[in-house]
Amino acid sequence: MKGIGGLGAFRACVCLAALLFLGVFLVYPLATVLLASVRDPDTGAWTLAPYRQIAASRYYLGSVGNSLLAGVLSMGFVCVLAVPLAFCLARLEVPGKPVLLTLASLPLVLPSFVGAYALVLLFGHAGIATVAMRDIGLPVGSIYGMPGIVIVFTLTLYPYVLMPVMAGFQAVDIAIEEAARNLGGSRFHVFRTVLLPVVMPSVLAGALLVFIEALENFGVPAVLAEDRPFLALDIFKLFAGESDSNPGAAGALSVLLVACTAGVLVLQRRWLARRRFATGARRVPPPIVLGRGGRIAAGVFCWAVVLLSVLPFAAVLVISFQHFRGPVLNWEITLSNYAALLRGSYRPLWNTLLLASIAAMAVTLLGAPIGYVLARHRSRLSTLLDIVVTVPFAVSGTVLGIGLVIAFNSGWLVLTGGWLILSVAFVVRKLPFSVRSAGAIVHQIDPSLEEASINLGVSPLRTFLTMTVPMMAAGLAGGMVLVWVTVTSELSATIVLYSSRWRTMTVLMFQSLEGTAPGEAAAAASILIVFTALPLLLVYRLLQRQGMGVL
Amino acid sequence: MKREGTAMRMGLWLGLALAIAGQAEAAERRMVLYSANDDTVNKMVAEGFTKSTGIAIDVVSTGSGVLFRRLASEQANPQADVVWGVSSVLLKDGTKYFQPYAAKDRDAIPAQFRDANNLWIGTNLQILVIAQNTKAIPGAEGPTGWGDLLDPKWKGRIAYTDPANSGSSYVTATALLSLWGGDDAAWTKMRALLANTKVLNRSTQVFDGNGSGEYPLGISLEYAGLLWAENGAPVRVTYPADGTVALVEGAAVIKGAANPAEAKAFVDYLNEKPTQEQLLRATFRRPARQDIDLASLPGHMPALSALKLLPYDDAKWEAARRDTLAKLKTAIQETR
Amino acid sequence: MTAIRLEGVTRSYGAVRAVDDVSLTVNEGEFFTLLGPSGCGKTTLLRMIAGFTDVEHGSIWFGARRIDAVPAHRRNTGMVFQSYAVFPNLTVAGNVAYGLRARKVGRAETGARVARALASVQLGALGERWPHELSGGQLQRVAIARSLVIEPAVLLFDEPLSNLDAQLRTQLRVEIRQLQRQLGLTAVYVTHDQEEALAVSDRIAVMRAGRVEQVGPPEAIYRTPGTAFVAEFMGSTNMLPGRIEAVDGAEIAVRAGGAMFRVQGAAGTVGDPVLLSIRPETMRVLAGDADGRSVTEDGRSVTATLVLREFLGPTLRLHTVLPDGTPLRVAALGGQEIRQGAGGALLLGYDAAQIILYPAS
Ligand SMILES: Nc1ncnc2c1ncn2[C@@H]1O[C@H](COP(=O)(O)OP(=O)(O)O)[C@@H](O)[C@H]1O
Ligand SMILES: [Mg+2]
Repeated sequence: MKGIGGLGAFRACVCLAALLFLGVFLVYPLATVLLASVRDPDTGAWTLAPYRQIAASRYYLGSVGNSLLAGVLSMGFVCVLAVPLAFCLARLEVPGKPVLLTLASLPLVLPSFVGAYALVLLFGHAGIATVAMRDIGLPVGSIYGMPGIVIVFTLTLYPYVLMPVMAGFQAVDIAIEEAARNLGGSRFHVFRTVLLPVVMPSVLAGALLVFIEALENFGVPAVLAEDRPFLALDIFKLFAGESDSNPGAAGALSVLLVACTAGVLVLQRRWLARRRFATGARRVPPPIVLGRGGRIAAGVFCWAVVLLSVLPFAAVLVISFQHFRGPVLNWEITLSNYAALLRGSYRPLWNTLLLASIAAMAVTLLGAPIGYVLARHRSRLSTLLDIVVTVPFAVSGTVLGIGLVIAFNSGWLVLTGGWLILSVAFVVRKLPFSVRSAGAIVHQIDPSLEEASINLGVSPLRTFLTMTVPMMAAGLAGGMVLVWVTVTSELSATIVLYSSRWRTMTVLMFQSLEGTAPGEAAAAASILIVFTALPLLLVYRLLQRQGMGVL
Repeated sequence: MKREGTAMRMGLWLGLALAIAGQAEAAERRMVLYSANDDTVNKMVAEGFTKSTGIAIDVVSTGSGVLFRRLASEQANPQADVVWGVSSVLLKDGTKYFQPYAAKDRDAIPAQFRDANNLWIGTNLQILVIAQNTKAIPGAEGPTGWGDLLDPKWKGRIAYTDPANSGSSYVTATALLSLWGGDDAAWTKMRALLANTKVLNRSTQVFDGNGSGEYPLGISLEYAGLLWAENGAPVRVTYPADGTVALVEGAAVIKGAANPAEAKAFVDYLNEKPTQEQLLRATFRRPARQDIDLASLPGHMPALSALKLLPYDDAKWEAARRDTLAKLKTAIQETR
Repeated sequence: MTAIRLEGVTRSYGAVRAVDDVSLTVNEGEFFTLLGPSGCGKTTLLRMIAGFTDVEHGSIWFGARRIDAVPAHRRNTGMVFQSYAVFPNLTVAGNVAYGLRARKVGRAETGARVARALASVQLGALGERWPHELSGGQLQRVAIARSLVIEPAVLLFDEPLSNLDAQLRTQLRVEIRQLQRQLGLTAVYVTHDQEEALAVSDRIAVMRAGRVEQVGPPEAIYRTPGTAFVAEFMGSTNMLPGRIEAVDGAEIAVRAGGAMFRVQGAAGTVGDPVLLSIRPETMRVLAGDADGRSVTEDGRSVTATLVLREFLGPTLRLHTVLPDGTPLRVAALGGQEIRQGAGGALLLGYDAAQIILYPAS
């Protein structure tokens, strides 16, 4: 880094600080857990036995296969659903667009185990909808197993593709489009040969998130897998099951999960590296005017997809107003669930809001400079950082949680038992999102702006703070809200790390659902939805006014 | 610059909020309970205990597997004072985390339901039962014993918790293997049973699924069956005619606990007669102490002596756990 | 006023030597242009002077001060970017005042200097406008004012005009040149457009693949290119591959394109492959005799066949082919009357001193 003091030093500082943070709060805790997969528990000698066991086990191979299959299928279905939806919402006139947009991001709000529970009540073997449809002679299959899991993943994860692709469609320079039309392409032909390739990087980035989330998600298969093995479930059982504790095998499976994720990330990066489609539109493209038939079809399609995806919410809401005797549902409308909830402490709600705010702020403060440096600067150090910072994507919350407890329960840094360890866990888990969204924003800012500022005598750090950050602000706010929202529904690390004073809403939901108060769980979920949907709505408004569809 | 100011103010505000939150419950006597019981139970016991002793309880509650991972990870600086609601299998395995305490009423509890060195003590018993949803299967048509579950007509209709994720499920499987002779023939029967089951991930899925009719039959626990039945669900609890097993759940004081006096008071409170009766009334937990008249209480549980209890070789099945689970896993896979 | 000295400056990206051992001196107050095709390392070199790119080997000096280790923001250079880089969140005046604020210049003085700078780029009335309300040319004027106002030691331009349309380009380059001269600032200007370079520069360095090929005043570069590459790059010269047929003192006969050229040059050996650089405007169309034989007073002429003629106003461009089909472009004055149509034979005279001979490599 000789020579350019300021700039190089700034970048190197960010890289080193980020690597230090991740080293302490990610690599070190994970190592305490994952090393179990290469150490013999009795002798402490190095071994690959757990990996061999997995390779030799039909069960675990099946589990890996099922997870990958669910991931790939969900990814495929999400693309098939979300890309046309994104096109419709970005470029067509669809009635009720703001409402649609807000509804479409709701699936990110609901903890997946609550959504899955609600879907079982609706579509389980004896679900309300199942029974009703059977009564009118419609033979419906069960929601359990691969189809159900893929459907749930598709309907809950599609915002990950919808949001960036919508932004992509809005950013396509209409000149390209007009040029293509001018060359005689039909509308569909233009879509396929011009628009689609341009938004492909966004599609890919979103699809990748879907794949990783589907691979790592625990709540949905836990409820819907019935007797199919899934990787995330097996990792949990081997780590923290009450019966089959086997840290070696769990570590090996976790490493496998990390490897799968890293593999696809590398593939994606390879693919992206060779293409650059940023077209920097100056004008927001005008909506395409359709005929009556087309308009109706587009409207029906959009509303159908979005309404389908908020079905679990409707179910949760309905259940929250039902009377429960112990665990038994009595179809009587009541407010008693809310009353019971309100009689209890408000702390879980307060904790959730507070922790999510701390985490969202911290993760943004950390993620923005990292995303900036990774987007602006290529060096060996930044490549290393790039790899390390994506690891949390692939690590299940349980594993990270346990690692954090082992690492920070005693010794030089004690964090357990308070809000700090929860915040650290959230920050680490959400950092990849924040870094990626910050990076995407930075890519839209002309680097010569910063150079101009430095050239005029403002130091790189000050330039970053006073020039770059304000320009990133709207996008960062969007990313921050997204982190905020997803933190409020985090369970898997929370359950390992929380202390009674820092119980959160998701813990409360989980405990009520596992215990004898599913009504209270539903009421808690409904309250949480209200509290998280509002900021979402506000942010959409804000971003829309600024002509930014980016989240 | 304006932006930084805002961030700073936000930070200050947060710090203040945190400080206030931390202040709130400082002075009084408190203890931390790790509980694998459900929320309703935790709340009831915590409130009762606070009322009778003035000691406040901070409950951390989740599955017993996670609790023990936490205990293991926190060994060097324990965060908990008492662990409760976990099976004797885990308690026996985890004695290194506990300190001995000779609880007050321990003589009311049979010796086989507590540790000889007082490292842990049983609080209640779980009986393995067959739960039957009578809306799906009229009362008399249901199975009366484990053997009946092998009938192919139940294929896909029995809910069973994955033994890899549930201690009681593992006990069920191994007790049946013992009952059936422990040899290859027993495994053949086991496969026939597994072939009829849907293997679910968590025991609550079995209880809920059976109570709501998702699965007509469930390999369940006494308390869960009664909880649903007594709350109006069409659930019938069958104590298998060919015998069952009583699993002990208990409590232990954590070694190095920050509040040992409070912890001990809590363990005593758990096994007091009124506490046990209250728990039974509310959630059908069968007390470990044998001086309570079950017939006069809700659920009208049969006395332990009236049940046909199978001999269960804890030590043997504990030693064979990993291999047996692997075999069960394979059997489950092969019968899908 | 500051002189710039580069000594053995090198920078590579992986296996690519973007800038390869460049040594140059830019005199005080000089308008110095880096010229070369895209990818030859001009930007990299300029950014090393500005401090945005590390110097791998070598040193850079502003006067007596070595600056290659000085952070970019302390080098006191004023850089104008191809993409304008006008801050979208500041007004025009705010943009221009930006560097003065960084230098903690007082409020009143800032106001006065900003006004002067804006007036000098003819934007006096637009101080309160927002960048999105300006055209490309106006934006670049803002950028120029912004870098002038800080009175930098050196002005740096990286293809500042290439995003503008042709007319604006010529207009603005004149203004840039005048401002630079008025303020007496040393300027380094990067462009790939040789006409632009010729028009504005005091001196030009032609770059190729990271190396400096030739440095000199525009006329010298244009008239006596040091290498075939410079010759070809500097103008639409005709490069004819040929072979030496005979050497007679200072006169060398070269067979190229199926015709014989007699040129002057350093001694070569018969049979050597060579390149002839013949500028279109150095050929004259002669009134040949009926059968098109090469007849001139000194016999220096060739015959070619006319393929296409382009009337460009002041000039007339003739596309011809030599006897073996090698194309040869000829520029005649627009006023000259040439009767031949396509397919007609032309007698072309040349001045031996104007044809430059390069060894073929
Ligand atoms: N940041 C970079 N990373 C890798 N290669 C680069 C980078 N910048 C420039 N290069 C390479 O260095 C060479 C010179 O580039 P540049 O200085 O931009 O050329 P010019 O400005 O003359 O068009 C090119 O081959 C280019 O690909
Ligand atoms: Mg360039």
